[in-house]
Amino acid sequence: MSERDIINNRTNRNAFVHLPPLVRLEHICKVFGKVRANNDITLDIRPGMIKALLGENGAGKSTLMSILSGRFMQTSGTIYVDGTATRFDSPRDAINAGIGMVYQHFMLVESMTVAQNVLLGQEKGFIISPKAMEAEVTKLAERYGLPIDPSARVSELSMGEKQRVEILKLLYRDSRVLILDEPTAVLTPTETEQLFEAMWRMADQGKSIVFISHKLKEVLAVADEIAILRRGEIVDEFHESDVPNETVLANRMVGRDVVLAIEAEPVKPGSVVLDIANLSGDGMESLSLTLRKGEVIAIAGVAGNGQKELVEVVCGLRKPVSGRVEILGLDWNKFYPRPPRKGKSLAYIPEDRQGLATCKYLDLVDNFLLTTRHSFTSGPFLNRKEAAETTVKIIDEFNVQPGHIEGTARSLSGGNLQKLVIGREFFRQPDIIVAENPTQGLDISATEEVWQRLLEARNRAGILLITSELNEALQLADYIAVMYRGRFMDVFHKSDAAKVESIGLMMAGVTAA
Amino acid sequence: MITAELIIPILAATVQSGTPILYATLGEMLTERSGVLNLGVEGMMIFGAFGAFLFTYFTGNPWVGLFMAGIFAGVLGLLHGLVCQVFQGNQVVSGLALTILGVGLADFLGTPYVGVATTGFTPFEFPVLSSIPVIGGIFFKHDALVYLSYTLPLIFWFFMNRTRWGLAMAAAGEHPAACSAAGLNPVLMRWAGVFFGGFLVGLGGAYLSLAYTHLWTNNMTGGRGWIAVALVIFAFWRPGRAVFGAYLFGGIMAFQMRLQALGATLPSSLLLMLPYALTIIVLLFSSARGKGRAAPAALGVNIEPGE
Repeated sequence: MSERDIINNRTNRNAFVHLPPLVRLEHICKVFGKVRANNDITLDIRPGMIKALLGENGAGKSTLMSILSGRFMQTSGTIYVDGTATRFDSPRDAINAGIGMVYQHFMLVESMTVAQNVLLGQEKGFIISPKAMEAEVTKLAERYGLPIDPSARVSELSMGEKQRVEILKLLYRDSRVLILDEPTAVLTPTETEQLFEAMWRMADQGKSIVFISHKLKEVLAVADEIAILRRGEIVDEFHESDVPNETVLANRMVGRDVVLAIEAEPVKPGSVVLDIANLSGDGMESLSLTLRKGEVIAIAGVAGNGQKELVEVVCGLRKPVSGRVEILGLDWNKFYPRPPRKGKSLAYIPEDRQGLATCKYLDLVDNFLLTTRHSFTSGPFLNRKEAAETTVKIIDEFNVQPGHIEGTARSLSGGNLQKLVIGREFFRQPDIIVAENPTQGLDISATEEVWQRLLEARNRAGILLITSELNEALQLADYIAVMYRGRFMDVFHKSDAAKVESIGLMMAGVTAA
Repeated sequence: MITAELIIPILAATVQSGTPILYATLGEMLTERSGVLNLGVEGMMIFGAFGAFLFTYFTGNPWVGLFMAGIFAGVLGLLHGLVCQVFQGNQVVSGLALTILGVGLADFLGTPYVGVATTGFTPFEFPVLSSIPVIGGIFFKHDALVYLSYTLPLIFWFFMNRTRWGLAMAAAGEHPAACSAAGLNPVLMRWAGVFFGGFLVGLGGAYLSLAYTHLWTNNMTGGRGWIAVALVIFAFWRPGRAVFGAYLFGGIMAFQMRLQALGATLPSSLLLMLPYALTIIVLLFSSARGKGRAAPAALGVNIEPGE
């Protein structure tokens, strides 16, 4: 996020306010298996307005926009374009209706020029002239304030320029609704400012813009209307002038209301398993914490404030720049890169369970062996039979459905895959468990199971829980550390009611009085 | 010692030997630009050569034979498309199988005709141009297929760079998802790539049975299909460099034959090995990756349904 504050000086942001909405989503629901990604969402998208969809990862923003851009079909509900109910069977239908999306992963042909990319599929005539194409793109780019060299090859462009090409593609197709999915994630601060200026200019010319983000500051700076999504539902909607402040937004986004409660009897704390002192660098600023056996420390905060870097250091994926990190009594340099095979171990339950935690094309036994193979070796050989038997046991114990060990990891739903990962990691009898958003995208019953497992594990391990769900932190943790821009705003016991009350403030960077 | 009378025939033979390779290289290049790696060039080429022979033999019209050579090889290309696009098969495996199939079919169906002669394309002096000194002797005293091949790289370049379909085909080879997001159909582009690429490969085969020789023998292609596959890489998927590469190999082939004819003291098997040794050397040098010489980004990657 830019350190500088971005000033929105659009003057005519209500120029089109008298016009009816371009697009109206009514009672949209989307179900993937058992998970409700979107639930009864109703949303108006108006001309000349920048609508921000604010929400944590997994809140359902991208799913909703994929429905609007024709990638997914909604389970129920209706999309109205210009007041008429419309059905999108493919992105092409959505493009024809004037709705286009800039994906986080650009859809550009790297080896072609900017002009070729913009006009691909829209060329006039059979024979094409590079000069004429480039002239057209230049004209379009000037009109919307998106400077670009139309003859440059896309492979030579910066991320910000590539994004401009994507936007130009949509503008060339006369899209009236432009959906930008986390557009600033890949941009430098200057590029971010340029993007916002272009967004305002497009809105001034009557385009509707939907801006997906989980960054509060940006949303406040750029948007005319803000809708907050959480767990697949719109929990709040404001007009820009009614926006209270960042704290309220943060609170609404992470949710204080108890969706699910669980009995967490405290466990008597044991020996220190993780000791971090003054860890700095890579965006982190003098982080210190001590984790004991039997404790859960939750790192709360809006994603992208340094949690990922902290986890990577603790799990050995990133070298600490400065400060001391002691894992199970061993210095970081002793513990990594070859953690002791027997006895002391650290288990990592990553957020990215389909990428980092498992290999989707391998079967369950192979996935089980990914981190546990040392227990099944005799000399250079792997005892697969024993591993398969153990996998079956784990599958039964952790209630993984469907429990066929020959099935591939990708045949499991998110919740079942997570249970397999947890079973695998617990099998190693870890002394430290690092769990990163362990219930993200899971339904209520799976969430409860995962929580139960984590609480049981306190008997033998200390748990570092990274979560962007406040309720999860409050339910599981003994101590809560609130992280903002690489710092711990505060670390406190969850019985400290006053501090718990001000978590929202701290997440927005305000120090508790 | 080295005189024009010696050099010009060798260079003319170079063009002649290079022509079938040029057809096959451009054909494979077209297929690969659409994103499909087809290692079945050798099989398509010899099957095309057989088709050309067969139809010329029965109709007496080498142009019919030429067209049918394209169809024969193009149909094999479609078979590769069927395996890769419909059944999501591995492109390398399917291509290798296609070579075995094509060579086997041509051998099997061609057995009754081995050694049988037919009409074909014969050299004629190209009006006006053939009287240019040196150049005329090298380039313009050939048959119609050679003259046709001169225009092909230009047409290829123009198609890929200056037409809507060429752009769409290149997009299918570079980034099928972007191609389909632009409202185009990358799968269709690849069908076109395997068929028309195969068609060109077949014309290269036809050259062997209708112009280079006027008869049918087994193993007529003698590895030229494989050389074409290597040349596509050597040419960095650009038609201009393909011309250079094809004539380079044609030159080596012509040269070693001339050497044999002159009674060189080197063992003939060593000379025969030259083109293939050069293939390996060329691949060694050109596989070092650099700017502007990259393969189509999605080459060899099937388009999964629903993408």
